Amino acid sequence: MSILGHDPAGPAAWLGDLPVTSRYTFGLAGERFFRAIKDEGVIMGTNCPACDLTYVPARIFCERCLASLETWQDVGTIGEVYTFTILFVDKDGLPLDEPEIIAFIQIGDGGLVHRLGDIEAEDVEFGLAVEAVFKPKKSREGAITDITHFRPIKA
Amino acid sequence: MTSKIKDFPGTPLTEKDFEQGRVLYRHDKIEAWYAWDTGTAIRTYLAALQEGILLGSYCATCRKTVIPPRTVCEWCFRPMDEYVPLQDSGTVNTYSLCYVTWDVKRIEEPEIPAVIDIDGASPLCGIMHKLGEVAPEDVKIGMRVQAVWKPEDEREGAITDILYFKPVKEDRS
Repeated sequence: MSILGHDPAGPAAWLGDLPVTSRYTFGLAGERFFRAIKDEGVIMGTNCPACDLTYVPARIFCERCLASLETWQDVGTIGEVYTFTILFVDKDGLPLDEPEIIAFIQIGDGGLVHRLGDIEAEDVEFGLAVEAVFKPKKSREGAITDITHFRPIKA
Repeated sequence: MTSKIKDFPGTPLTEKDFEQGRVLYRHDKIEAWYAWDTGTAIRTYLAALQEGILLGSYCATCRKTVIPPRTVCEWCFRPMDEYVPLQDSGTVNTYSLCYVTWDVKRIEEPEIPAVIDIDGASPLCGIMHKLGEVAPEDVKIGMRVQAVWKPEDEREGAITDILYFKPVKEDRS
């Protein structure tokens, strides 16, 4: 066989899979934050009295004055749409059947990035008041997806 | 150094904490699959392995035979002239005793990866493979070895179609 010819019976490509797995623990503040979501269905923040800031999600120290944060508070399940984007493709770049709305929802002096639901894309606007919709308690597992989405508060 | 430290800062966790749900966590698997194009020479090499042949390539200008086969000669950069079947025996060029698996688990019996200079190839042209049927302390550089192949119907065109290389009992009489 010529050196530039090849055996068509040979594998043209070598297929493989790198078994990369990870286990991420949420840390001291994250543990308590997600426990609160899982067990009580509430969103927790921590308050720095010196800086007058309420961190959401909860932190264990103030990013501004580096003080330890001891004051935990239930910040409620209502926030405001700070900014949003509309997704037409999934994480692999494939078209979605229904566009998804992802928003940063301001709660306290922080907030959460989450889905918006029960709303048409053209009706979303900055400053829209939205509330968290939780999964039923039984199926909650201590993750941000225990909140299925945020929806506009019905007037 | 670390043996002097009795109390490490932080929150120690054991496997039980995860199993019994004492700590929340997120388990993730990265989709890291790939397809590596084998190219002209390796494709032919793998097809030959399936048939139980170790294939090299030969440069008539340099009179060099290399394994695995390449399309271009490393010495004169000309296209090589032909594929040549080599023998499935060789000489241990170097080896190592490995007491951990690829994912760093301890094993009692070491694996013995070795570079084997294949008979028929030019000096110092060898492939990497494992040694078997030999006690770790008996492995010597320069030892003669012979390939042990998978049964023909189980071969799939991979370097693992050779299970390992085993020592050749040499008749010294």
